[in-house]
Amino acid sequence: MNAHSMAVAGAPVTHKGEVLLSVESISLRFGGVKAITDVSFDIRKGEVRAIIGPNGAGKTSMLNCINGFYHPQEGRITYKGVRRDKMRPHRAAAAGIARTFQNVALFKGMSTLDNIMTGRTLKMRKGFFWQALRHGPAMNEEIEHRKVVEDIIDFLQIQHIRKLPVGKLPYGLQKRVELGRALAMEPELLLLDEPMAGMNLEEKEDMCRFILDVNNQFGTTIALIEHDMGVVMDLSDRVVVLEYGRKIADGTPAEVKADQRVIDAYLGVAH
Amino acid sequence: MFYREAGQYKTNYAADMAVFPLRQDRIGIAVILAIAFIGIPLLGNDFFIASVMIPFLVFSLAAIGLNILTGYTGLISLGTAAFMGVGAYSCYKLTTFFPGVNIIVLILVSGLFSAAIGVLFGLPSLRIKGFYLAVATLAAQFFLQWAFVRIPWLFNYNASGAIEVPQRTLFGLPITGASATPETRYFVCLGLVVVLTWFASNIVHGKLGRSWMAVRDMDIAAELMGIKLLNAKLTAFAVSSYFAGVAGAMMIFLWYGGGEANDVFTIRLSFTILFMVIIGGLGSLIGSFFGAAFLSALPTALKFGLPALGVPIGGAAAEHVTFMLVGALIIIFLIVEPHGLARLWQIGKQKLRTWPFPY
Ligand SMILES: Nc1ncnc2c1ncn2[C@@H]1O[C@H](COP(=O)(O)OP(=O)(O)O)[C@@H](O)[C@H]1O
Ligand SMILES: [Mg+2]
Repeated sequence: MNAHSMAVAGAPVTHKGEVLLSVESISLRFGGVKAITDVSFDIRKGEVRAIIGPNGAGKTSMLNCINGFYHPQEGRITYKGVRRDKMRPHRAAAAGIARTFQNVALFKGMSTLDNIMTGRTLKMRKGFFWQALRHGPAMNEEIEHRKVVEDIIDFLQIQHIRKLPVGKLPYGLQKRVELGRALAMEPELLLLDEPMAGMNLEEKEDMCRFILDVNNQFGTTIALIEHDMGVVMDLSDRVVVLEYGRKIADGTPAEVKADQRVIDAYLGVAH
Repeated sequence: MFYREAGQYKTNYAADMAVFPLRQDRIGIAVILAIAFIGIPLLGNDFFIASVMIPFLVFSLAAIGLNILTGYTGLISLGTAAFMGVGAYSCYKLTTFFPGVNIIVLILVSGLFSAAIGVLFGLPSLRIKGFYLAVATLAAQFFLQWAFVRIPWLFNYNASGAIEVPQRTLFGLPITGASATPETRYFVCLGLVVVLTWFASNIVHGKLGRSWMAVRDMDIAAELMGIKLLNAKLTAFAVSSYFAGVAGAMMIFLWYGGGEANDVFTIRLSFTILFMVIIGGLGSLIGSFFGAAFLSALPTALKFGLPALGVPIGGAAAEHVTFMLVGALIIIFLIVEPHGLARLWQIGKQKLRTWPFPY
């Protein structure tokens, strides 16, 4: 069974709710470089939304705008009805947006366990003095969150690397740990930047399954950048296509696949 | 999400999350504490306790402080000695104003002043990193060192220009000043170091420690976990400077005992502490002890040990040899083993665990 047929078997829930995030005519420039030009699209609650396009199309920049690393010079971003295009990343985290990076951004010197535990930071409330004592309420809190983290570790099947520093893990496992760290935040909106890049087929299948499970079981809304068209077609409910920073298509996988501009710009070229 | 019935794990996790999950490690700690609290006072002579053990404890605490900043949070500082000085002078002023308050309490409180100054000089760390931050902390070093000499109010206008440590007692026993015995001062130092190390260990294993390491390893991802970079860096400066401040107060009140304490909080001391952290192991509490033991004992060992072995070496020559050895070791450790002696210790333990069958 390959990744695609498996993805179809676990077809995502079809009823999609109201708009969770909307991007309205945003433009982002770096000096003379136009990374994004006048792009609008939205993400609905519970859906898997793919963002595709050739390299340099502005996909990563789009995620960076959504979680506040970049602030677009023009346009607006509305999340859960609140305008937030000038929000800082840690505010985005507090608002329920989690993310993985194209080039894994794990905490290299820390163990898998500690990496995923950092995902619980915002949910931990005990203050400095309790932490310094590490007894009573502080210890109970650590244990409580450790349990959640262990469940994530079970879910992602990474029990065996629990105590290992992540810096020395193979790439595929690092990507998995990074997903775990994002899941530990119990996000409402999960942004995945090429979660399957550089993986072998088996790892891709696993990752596909994890993404679908997260979407199905927990109703997490997912925005996904991916190059493997098969994966995109099977995983996502709707696809937005970028080219040279502009949106050239937006619709269901079938619609996008049939779009002549998309075929010319993206699907036609080998990569 | 991810909540399942997992109550039965509780005891397991609690045990697993203990700072020393291995029983051998816990026994090891108990043995070390027994040696420190019973063995050394019984067997060590005054010279050993006053010139080897007390300096070692003071340096260990300072090294832990710097390790929190540099090893755990990835922020380099060349101002450790200055922050130690803030602790020492604060303690002096406090005990002048509140002679009735126990000196141990005042030593602990003086760290708070150092923490505040540390936060102040840590503010630039939000914008600058690495080399530039090192230069900014160097500015702290020079400014504060200047203040210690030029603001006579800090040393109560003493003619010596230095702190003159008054006699203070605990349960009627003098613990500071000329009549305090090395043993008493040692016990006070040891108590403070043990308690504060325990706090440090708890903190680095908890949420705050993880936030520091996250900032150190990948600050953009840390921000995405909801960690505020400014908060994480400033708490690191605060906690680090607190430890340095307490170490500084201990240095003057429990080790030097005044008199010769003029101008000790120099850039050279800052570098010595930094070297302790590098040789001991960045991001390791036990490494801080290794580094402090190594660097504080090395000069004494060379000066007194070599002649005892029949190798004639003068005080000055011993000092030069120390410099060369330390320099070489720093380079070796930075290139070969950035995690320092602590890492070698771990490897050794790992070997021991699997010995005699390595596979
Ligand atoms: N921080 C930055 N500084 C300058 N240019 C950038 C920066 N980030 C992205 N860009 C530019 O923006 C364009 C889009 O990049 P990116 O969003 O990474 O594309 P994609 O993820 O679709 O491959 C590229 O031309 C890239 O060089
Ligand atoms: Mg990209």
